[in-house]
Amino acid sequence: MKKIKKSDLNKLLSQWQQKYSVFAPSNHGVVKMTAWDGKDTTFLDWYRNTVVPPKNNFLPGMEKMFDIKKDAGYKLEVTADDTKQLIFGVRPCDARALALIDVNFKDGYEDTYYLNRRKNGLLVGLGCTSPCASCFCTSLNIHPAESQDVDVMFNDIGEELLIAEVTDKGKELLAASSGLSDATAADEAKAKEAKEATFKKVTRKINTGEIKERLMPSFENEEYWKNVAAKCVSCGICTFLCPTCYCFDINDEQSKGEAARFRNWDCCSFAVYTKMPMENPREEKWRRVRQKVNHKYNFFPMIYEQIACTGCGRCIRQCPVNWDITQVLSTLPEKAKA
Amino acid sequence: MTDTEKKLQDKAKELLEQGKVEHIIGYAAGSLKFTTTPLITKDKDDARQLVINPFIVNNLSVFLNDIKGKIGIVAKPCDARSIVSLLQDQQVARENLVILGLPCQGLIDLRKVERLTGKDRDDIDDITRNGDKVTVTTGGKTQKFAAKEVIFDDCLSCETPTPPEYDFLFGEPSSATDKELGRKNIKELEAMSPQQRWDFWKQEFSRCIRCYACRQVCPACFCTRCFIEETEPQWLSPLPRWQDNLLFQTTRMLHVAGRCTDCGECERVCPVNIPLRSISKKVEEIVDELFQYKAGMDKNAERFMTAYEPSEAEDLMR
Ligand code: SF4
Ligand code: SF4
Ligand code: SF4
Ligand code: SF4
Repeated sequence: MKKIKKSDLNKLLSQWQQKYSVFAPSNHGVVKMTAWDGKDTTFLDWYRNTVVPPKNNFLPGMEKMFDIKKDAGYKLEVTADDTKQLIFGVRPCDARALALIDVNFKDGYEDTYYLNRRKNGLLVGLGCTSPCASCFCTSLNIHPAESQDVDVMFNDIGEELLIAEVTDKGKELLAASSGLSDATAADEAKAKEAKEATFKKVTRKINTGEIKERLMPSFENEEYWKNVAAKCVSCGICTFLCPTCYCFDINDEQSKGEAARFRNWDCCSFAVYTKMPMENPREEKWRRVRQKVNHKYNFFPMIYEQIACTGCGRCIRQCPVNWDITQVLSTLPEKAKA
Repeated sequence: MTDTEKKLQDKAKELLEQGKVEHIIGYAAGSLKFTTTPLITKDKDDARQLVINPFIVNNLSVFLNDIKGKIGIVAKPCDARSIVSLLQDQQVARENLVILGLPCQGLIDLRKVERLTGKDRDDIDDITRNGDKVTVTTGGKTQKFAAKEVIFDDCLSCETPTPPEYDFLFGEPSSATDKELGRKNIKELEAMSPQQRWDFWKQEFSRCIRCYACRQVCPACFCTRCFIEETEPQWLSPLPRWQDNLLFQTTRMLHVAGRCTDCGECERVCPVNIPLRSISKKVEEIVDELFQYKAGMDKNAERFMTAYEPSEAEDLMR
């Protein structure tokens, strides 16, 4: 294992910037992964997690899919984004979220736009030290300070950051980096202690076993869903900001002699969701709320044997009405008949 | 529980028990510190969950369109103004409402508290208001602020510390308004050159993710089909480019002109912190200046821009 002084992190990021487009947390209006400015590492002092998740770097809010030009004989020019991104400071929950999106975008149809960016991207994780009150990652088997879903993992040990390689890609990155020193056994012990302390700070809990038992039997309980849906205002916050939500909408634009196709985030909370190809089968709000919960905790696990939620808590903290998924999941009314 | 809260709970319970209303809409404690959450219930026993505190931020009138039957609704002055505006627009009927009015002294803006203390809301232990002072406790240390420093801009600008329309009133009005301070952001924008303003908004709207939370929480945005989702013809692109984001928001603001009551909800909920109230408040001021009209003050007033006199000097309409 390696380590680096916090005050030298900018030198390391600068090195990486020679080869990669480096992104790091910043707060220009909103906390999100932003193209690193070449010097600022003060985020180490205040950064808990981004508001806009790093999925934005791989499945951006909008992207062009292809151009069609009349002059070129209506030839289709597919957009290829080969940017080599290195995202620094990814939290374990968000790294897991990307692994979950991978599963979906690799299943059957391969989504080359997303997978290309993932292939060209490097994730450098940063273990949490002060989880938010809304975080419940530990209930989803995610350690807030450890991750196997990143390429390299950093952990705060006071004045220094401990660095561990996780994947081959990460190993190569570190091998090509200078200015790192070897970590001592004492450093590793310090990291272990810090990780354990962080783990204990995650106090919000859900019981996934119980949820699994109750969710399907509660599906038809219309009254329950109507009740929990009542205060939701059907905005896009909890899905757009959810690191595991991947729904998108397609929009074509046309001007003289040319056209282009784009995709942009879409969300099952919207009343107009899927209106483009057809109608929304979930016109009533309670059906949409039920869908959101079930997609993450019931349908996705049915297909992929994993829950599509990482407990990052964004949907709780950012919701305009404090609609709290952990409360909903812990009040499911029905239980499977024995 | 305060005396006022108790009175409110008792009244809500009584209304449900006596069948005077079928639903109560109010505020309950939220699941995170310094939050509350809308309580929408038919159950008289839920009435005891009702709270009144400096964090009752939601404009609950946005739920009126959703719910059928007689409703008892807790309303701060700005929410009551939204209700009046909805009454004027015949979106709700007065006889279906029992308005449980709350005088207001301004709500605490957590973002301001975070900025002033340099602490995240999760690290703050306590925020208490006592008259003109707000005490913030973090890790055993206390800091005192003037209420004016930490209440929302729209609260600073409030002109109606008592709801303009109510059936029952709970508590005494008192306010710490400061109209000049409430327009601080607007003044900064007014001082800019058009080019600077353009650059400012370009930067702000580059962050917009089109979550439409601003529209969804707005009681004045009651259209069943919003222009932004029209596809035949498509007025604006659904793609979140800054230009379209800006046009979406300015169009929305024009649609709600004369109906917006400066409740500040759009700005509060925007997850990427776009200062939307700098637009809505300015529009409100222009409406007042040109038409001597303030939204939601009088349910019997003629609605804004819906009546036309042949004597008016507008050729287009003739
Ligand atoms: S749960 Fe909250 S964030 Fe999600 S759609 Fe409803 S109101 Fe918006
Ligand atoms: S559902 Fe909520 S807590 Fe779970 S991953 Fe999405 S935003 Fe995070
Ligand atoms: S709430 Fe903010 S981010 Fe969402 S659509 Fe409105 S302006 Fe854009
Ligand atoms: S923006 Fe305009 S069209 Fe859309 S809901 Fe609001 S008032 Fe209606």
